[in-house]
Parts: sequence; C-alpha cells; structure tokens
Amino acid sequence: MKYTKILILLFSFFILSHSYSDEKMKYKIYKNLRCLVCQGQNIGDSNSEFAQTIKTVINDKLDEGLNEREVYSFLAEKYGDWILYKPPLKNNSYVLWLLPYVIFILGALILFIFLRKNTIHKK
Amino acid sequence: MLSNLGNLFITLTLLSSFLLIYYSAVGLKKNGSLIPEKIFRISKTQCLFTILSFFILLVAYIFSDFSLINVYENSHTTKPLLYKISGVWGNHEGSLLLWIVILVIFSLLFLNLNKLADKKFRLFTLIFQNILISGFLIFLITNSNPFSKLYPVPNEGMGLNPILQDPALAIHPPLLYLGFVGSSIYFSAALASLITKYNGSNFAKTIKFWVLTSWFFQTIGILAGSIWAYYELGWGGYWFWDPVENSSLMPWFLMTALIHSILILEKKNDIYLWVIILSILTFTMSVTGTFLVRSGILNSVHTFANDPSRGLYILIFLSIMIFSSLYIFYKYAPSKKSNFQFLSKEFFILINNWFMIFFLIVVLIGTLYPIVLEVISEQKISVGPPYYVIVMAPFLIPFLYFVSRGPQAQWFSAQSNNKKKNFLVLFFSVVIILVFFYFTKVKDVLINLILIFSIYLILQTILDFFRNIKKNYFNLSRIISHLAFGFLIFFISINSIFSTEYDLNLKNGEKIKLDNYEIELKDLNILNEKNYKKIVGNVIIRDQKKDTFEFLEPEIRVYNMPETVTYEASIKSNLFFDTYVTMSNLSGSEFYNLKFQRKPFMILIWLSIIFIGVGGFLRLLPMRQKK
Repeated sequence: MKYTKILILLFSFFILSHSYSDEKMKYKIYKNLRCLVCQGQNIGDSNSEFAQTIKTVINDKLDEGLNEREVYSFLAEKYGDWILYKPPLKNNSYVLWLLPYVIFILGALILFIFLRKNTIHKK
Repeated sequence: MLSNLGNLFITLTLLSSFLLIYYSAVGLKKNGSLIPEKIFRISKTQCLFTILSFFILLVAYIFSDFSLINVYENSHTTKPLLYKISGVWGNHEGSLLLWIVILVIFSLLFLNLNKLADKKFRLFTLIFQNILISGFLIFLITNSNPFSKLYPVPNEGMGLNPILQDPALAIHPPLLYLGFVGSSIYFSAALASLITKYNGSNFAKTIKFWVLTSWFFQTIGILAGSIWAYYELGWGGYWFWDPVENSSLMPWFLMTALIHSILILEKKNDIYLWVIILSILTFTMSVTGTFLVRSGILNSVHTFANDPSRGLYILIFLSIMIFSSLYIFYKYAPSKKSNFQFLSKEFFILINNWFMIFFLIVVLIGTLYPIVLEVISEQKISVGPPYYVIVMAPFLIPFLYFVSRGPQAQWFSAQSNNKKKNFLVLFFSVVIILVFFYFTKVKDVLINLILIFSIYLILQTILDFFRNIKKNYFNLSRIISHLAFGFLIFFISINSIFSTEYDLNLKNGEKIKLDNYEIELKDLNILNEKNYKKIVGNVIIRDQKKDTFEFLEPEIRVYNMPETVTYEASIKSNLFFDTYVTMSNLSGSEFYNLKFQRKPFMILIWLSIIFIGVGGFLRLLPMRQKK
C-alpha cells in the first residue's frame, strides 16, 4: 500500500515538470527585487522612478538573452546583495539557508527520543 | 488640563498595581480559600483608572487638544472623526496605553472568571500580571508618555500618515493587541502554576479560554492587517513576509501549538511542562515582536542606534521576563513521567507542535538573520518572500497530511482502521489534480503536491464530518478550522499560480491590447475632498474572450496634512477573481503607469481565514457538543 502511494506521487512528479513563460518570468524577477528607495516594497509593486528604471534594465537584459539567474547577479553586482529578496547561497548565508533544516531534524530527534522514553509498548 | 488628568490616572493605575501586588502577597499567607474582597475592589478601581486615562487621550484626540505632544504629532483638525479616534493607537505612545488598558481589563476578567480555581494560583497569577502592568506603566511614564505637554500650544497638528487612515487599519492594532495581551494571562498563569504546583489538568482548563480568545483575535487581527495591505498599499499582494507582519505571525504559531497541546494536558494531564514552556514563550514572543517593531531595529540597525532608549527599555524588560521565567521554571518544574502511544491522537498533536515550532523558527531566522549579520559583519542582505516560500512550502505537504491524519486517531490508542479509505482519498485527490492540470497545464511540482494534499485534507475533513454525524458526536470547531485551513492553502496556491498582471504606460484617452484584454484610460477627473485632492482615472477593461466590460477608477491622492501622495487601488471583486488596478503618474511625462491584475479567489482566501477563526470561536461558546 505504501509503495503504491509513493508510486502515485512519483508519477505525478514526472508528468509535471517546471517551466515559466517569458512574460511571467519578467514579473517574477520584478517581485524578487527590493526597491532600494522605498520602504519594504519590491520593484514590481513600486511606483518610484528607481523601480521604473530597474524594470527597463531587466527588460533589456532579458531581451539580450540573459536568464533569470544572470539578471540577478548583474543587479547584485551593481547594487549589492541588498537588492535581492532571495539571498544567494554563499558564505554569509549558509546559516540562513541551512539552519531551518537542522532545526527541523533536531525537532524530529527530540520528538523521537521523547517518544521512545515515554511510549507504552503493547505486547 | 487633560494632560494632568491623564497623568494622574496613569499614576493611580500604577499605585493600584503596587497595592494589588502587596495585598496579594499578604493574601497568600492568610488561610482560607477565598480571595479578600479588597483585592477585587482595588482591581476594579484600577480598571476604571486605566479606562479613564485612555478616555482622556481619546477626548484629547477628538477635540484636537494640541497641548499634548502626542496629539500634535499624530492628528489634525480636518481629519475625519473615525481617524481622529484610531489616531489614538496609530502611534507608539497611544498604542502602548491601549496595550496597558487591555492588560488591566484582562487581569480583572481573569480574577473574576476563575472563581473555582485555587486561591493561591489566582493570587500568584494576579501578582505576575501586575508586575507586567507596572513594567509597562513605568515604561510609559518615563519614556513614552502620551500625556506629555507641549508649549506654546500650536494651532494645528501634523496629521496622521494617510495610508494609516483606513477602517481596516483602524481596527487592526486593537485586534492584534487583544491577541498579544491575551497571551500575558497564560504567561502569568504558567508561572503561578509552577510555583503553586497546580494540577495540570485544572491549569489547562483555566487557560483554555484565554488561549482560544487570544488566538481568535490574533487570527482576525492578522487578517485585518492583510486585507489592509492588499487594498491600501497598492501592490495587490496580501502577505509580504515583512518583519512587522512576521512579528504578528510568530506568536500565532505558538498559540496554535498551544490550542492543540492543552487538549492533551486537559485530557491526560500529560506534557504539563511543555504546555508551560509554550505559554511562557507565547507572551515572550509577543513582547519580542513589539520590541522589534517599536524599537525601529527592523528598518535599520541605525535607527535603533539613534534612539536606543525605547528599544533598550523593552530589551531590559524582556530579559528580566525571560530570566525570571527560566529561574522559576528550573526551580519549580516537577519531573513527571509521560505516557504515550505511537500514532495516537496525542502523538499527532505533538507532530503539530513540531511543525508549528519549525515554522516559527524559520520566520524568526528570516526576520533576525539580516539584523544579526549586519551587526557582526556590516553586510546587508535582504530576506524576502522567496526565502520563506522556498524553505517552508515543501513542509506544508507532510503538514497537510498530518492535519488530516490526526483527527482520525484515537486518544490513548493507536487503533486506526481507515487505511484503505485513506488510500482511496489520496488516489482521488491525485486524480482531481491531474484532470485539473490536464486543462490548465501548470507544471510546478511543488505547487501540485501542495494542491493534492490540500484537497486530501479537505476530503478527509468532510469524511470526518460525516463520521461525526454517524456517531452523533460533533467536534464542529475542529472540522471548520481544519477544513478552512485546507481551503486556505488550496486557494493561496491557486492564487499564486493563476494571478496575472500587466504593467503598462498609457496617455490620457489611449487604449492598448494585451493578450485577451483591451485596456483603456478613458479620461481623468480632478476632485477636491475634505483633506486631500484626488485624480481619478476612468479605466475600462474589455475581456475579449468573454466579451465583458469592467469599469475601474483608480485614484492618485494628494493629502495636505502631512503632504503625501498615495495611490488608491480600484478593486472589483467577485467570488472567483478580483480585478485590481492601480495608477500612478510618471513624473515629467504625460504617461500614466497602470498596473492591471487579475487575482483569483481573493474573497475565498479571506473567507477561509475567517472560518479558521470561527472554528476557534465556536470552542469558546459554552454549549459543548457532547453526546
């Protein structure tokens, strides 16, 4: 029974793989960038001139054939990582990205040990 | 005059607190099972004093008494009455006073509502409550006094930030505060319970009401904030994982964990210490959230450095709170053996707690990491929505599964005979999604899995409902909340996939064709309102596929006091989707920037959250649905 479950899930995994249309990609990139002159707004949502400029830059870069990742690194080089809402994985963000998983596993361990100590075993 | 009266009442409230602490301490030594009448009387008077002081600030706002710095800085004579009133808590000092008022009212209610509980337990709770009250009052008086005077008295105030002039935002802070402050009761009760070695099951019964109440208000408060952000901030999003939003969400996770785990404590008198820890953490997290928001540390480490006194006080207060709780915990915590059965209902509740704590910690890490990094290495990074989605969304899949699995389990035993049915339901959910996506062709694996499991939860909860009918035993509140949670995740996922947006620049009178839509900026009207001037755009959106029209009127508002430009979105909602248009002018040109969005199921997202809350609210009603 369990294996059938897993099979069903794997099956749905395979027929549904990942892609984005160009237009959607543009808005996705807008949303993942901080508007540097605003208070906690992204480029897509902001009405500021800064945001308008960055939007134009992104459109141009996409037309030049850069992909999502390249657009991010281009902008990060110019404005610093502060502009990226998704911090790139590097020395200063390993803890940020990995700590949650450590916590989750730690939680599982604590729960496991607690239950092992306190479970009544039926015979 | 008002200033003096206000100060007088605050001082009297503080004195009452001291008296209450003193008399409670005396009362503890006396024999007998009744709390002295004196304590009730002082508590009532104290409540009256704070309400009066709040009332005075309210009057000062309504009549625009600018001899108070606070009124001068946050109000204006031309402001509509509603926003004069909500202006009272639209700023740091006033909201702190509101916080204290709720704290005092809740203490009085606690004293009166739990007449059956043990005397010592109630007195200790009262002592801790009043220590908290005094702490906040001293902060108010020394650092953030809303009654501070201003001389010479100005003729006009500086006004309230126009984006805060909004009905949803008027009720947002009071609702959240009812949640935040409600958690103070079980914080104090937990410490009192440790000291008096109170019976765990009775403790659970006492705090259950408060956990549910605070959770309910927290839920509705977060919703109000979210709705406000949706239509007022003009970007069509409803949750941005902004640090300020996060600080209201973090206590919510803990409250949700508590709602579940007190059931074990109530039924089995088990996991007492864990419930105590959660109770202490919830209020601590509430104060931490307030600290983060109020100190200014969230926006930048540097604003904190500029005016450190406010943050410093809360930080010291917080440390005292944490360390004394830790001390009391280690000194008094009893050691108890637990009894657990694998796959029993208790087991799944612990799983819930595991996930809740995990979500909490992720949000905490995301909120604090950039601050810590900047302090230790001067590197600035942003942690935004993508981080939270990437880290947390995958965990929703097992979480949804456990939410649907838990209610099927039995208390104390691992029996479950629904294996075949579960499998069928899962199979059915997968089929629904596959059929669905055969037509829509969405290819994001994660979203699809989340959709499958949200449907799984919905179906399982509906089956649960029918099983309840058969057994003639209703746990309506669980069914409603779980069902609504399933729908919430479902609608949010659908919304995130199918939201469309177009960003375009148009001249007055121009129209443009995009995909299936024709968007026309027909004309512009300039109108004068009481405290602002507005430019209204008449926008026509023609859906060429369905051959329908929609007329929208986004606005650009220029407020006079303080001079600010805001953009009002125009939203047409129906059950299936919202049409959302904002307009702004591109400076130095005749072009207007229009943002047109179609957002599916917004109304249903709000409704789901309301129903999650309603479920909890039903538990508060006295009629428990027993056989």
